Amino acid sequence: MSNKSSLFAALAAVFFVASWLLSAQAQAQEKSITVFAAASMKNALDDVDEALAKQSGIKVVTSYDASSVLMKQIEQGAPADVFVSADLKWMDYGSQKKLIDEDTRVNLLGNKLVLIAAKDSKLAPVTIAPGLDLAKLAGDGRIVTGDVRAVPVGIYAKAALEKLGLWAALESKMAMAANVRAALLLVARGEAPLGIVYATDAKVEPGVKILGTFPDDSHEPIIYPVAATKSAKPDAARYLAFLRSAAAKSIFESYGFAFLIKPTS
Amino acid sequence: MFDLSVAEWTALKLSLRIAVVATAWALPFAVTTGWLLARKSFWGKTMLDGLVHLPLVLPPVVTGYLLLIWFGRRGPIGVFLHDYLGIVFAFRWTGAALAAAVMGFPLMVRPIRLALETIDRRLEDAAATLGANSVLVFLTVTLPLALPGIIAGVLLCFARALGEFGATITFVSNIPGETQTISAAIYTFLQIPDGDAPAARMVVIAIVLALVALVGAEWLSRRATTRFHGE
Repeated sequence: MSNKSSLFAALAAVFFVASWLLSAQAQAQEKSITVFAAASMKNALDDVDEALAKQSGIKVVTSYDASSVLMKQIEQGAPADVFVSADLKWMDYGSQKKLIDEDTRVNLLGNKLVLIAAKDSKLAPVTIAPGLDLAKLAGDGRIVTGDVRAVPVGIYAKAALEKLGLWAALESKMAMAANVRAALLLVARGEAPLGIVYATDAKVEPGVKILGTFPDDSHEPIIYPVAATKSAKPDAARYLAFLRSAAAKSIFESYGFAFLIKPTS
Repeated sequence: MFDLSVAEWTALKLSLRIAVVATAWALPFAVTTGWLLARKSFWGKTMLDGLVHLPLVLPPVVTGYLLLIWFGRRGPIGVFLHDYLGIVFAFRWTGAALAAAVMGFPLMVRPIRLALETIDRRLEDAAATLGANSVLVFLTVTLPLALPGIIAGVLLCFARALGEFGATITFVSNIPGETQTISAAIYTFLQIPDGDAPAARMVVIAIVLALVALVGAEWLSRRATTRFHGE
């Protein structure tokens, strides 16, 4: 064979081997469950998935992002088996559009909303109540959270600030990140002097400290519902059952989530 | 149907402003870099070439994160620029312009470098023998001959800057009127339950802008070629 045709043969061989390997991997993916979960679930749910894999060998592939983004993707046909939302609104949206299996829906976890600053910030802890001058606290910087029109943490934040009568003064000082973890990053790096995230996020990020907790009655109760999608694989039921178990409960609680139901087993 | 709301107009104007500023600022750097890569040999040339193309191959979010580390409030360059020149990037349109410039830079350098490499050197030599110093040669012979490439580079960078999203939203987040460009506005609208209509409008506008930029590039480039290369 000439040089050219042996090179061509080598390339073709590499191509075929690569596609065979990739398709084998794709088939392995099909045996695993795809979970779309709110960004704030990242660390806790990773641990839960790992525990499940150890216990029963079910492989889980999880995509973390703002609940709004994820539900819109599911609406467009993304192949998720389970959806974990950070608020009821986006799960209700899924229910309304007939994307989720109502029978599997469970309000699983609770959380709290907190005001954070960078670890080395000079700001002192505050009591979050009507009359708190957050604009002054932020100085010439911005308060970052998720998009207040769509992302759950942003929606809770705006509702809380409105209830406390602080929203009008702060509206022009808000910065909206793509999701709660992006907001967390910006505060940890000192880009923004203040941020509004979940208590569980503040707990996993060593670069921030909590300045205050929003009173529970200033916003809708923060509830994380979970449900299987209409197109879910059979293993999704086992996954949801595991999420309700005592083993999962202890993992979630160690990260600061409130476990809202009685655990099974 | 094409009645744009305030939010949409703001996003459109902001995108155009950011793209123009980003391209204008990147241009001198791109011409210099293109010239260095086309004409000079020096130690580290391959590294420079690699660095220039990095934003092209890195995931945009990674580029945005790196910008945050270097140009953010605590970044080395960010602190320097803030203390000595009063320039702030955090959550401001200047940050969005920086992100757009960085992402569009490789797209500008490549055609400029190519144009500079393919210029007939004898024309430059002729100018030199007629008494022009190297600066004059560069300005009156080299640049005009490279113009088609420069125009192509400028418009590619402009189009890229218009569409920049990943690096921008990571670096300066999404603030209406300040950093919410067309792409970020579409991203936000797609997350709101009734946002599909405004999102669709913005998408059409984005496509039209991109096509105008690309067709414009083609036309200007061809005119410059005819004018300076005489075909």
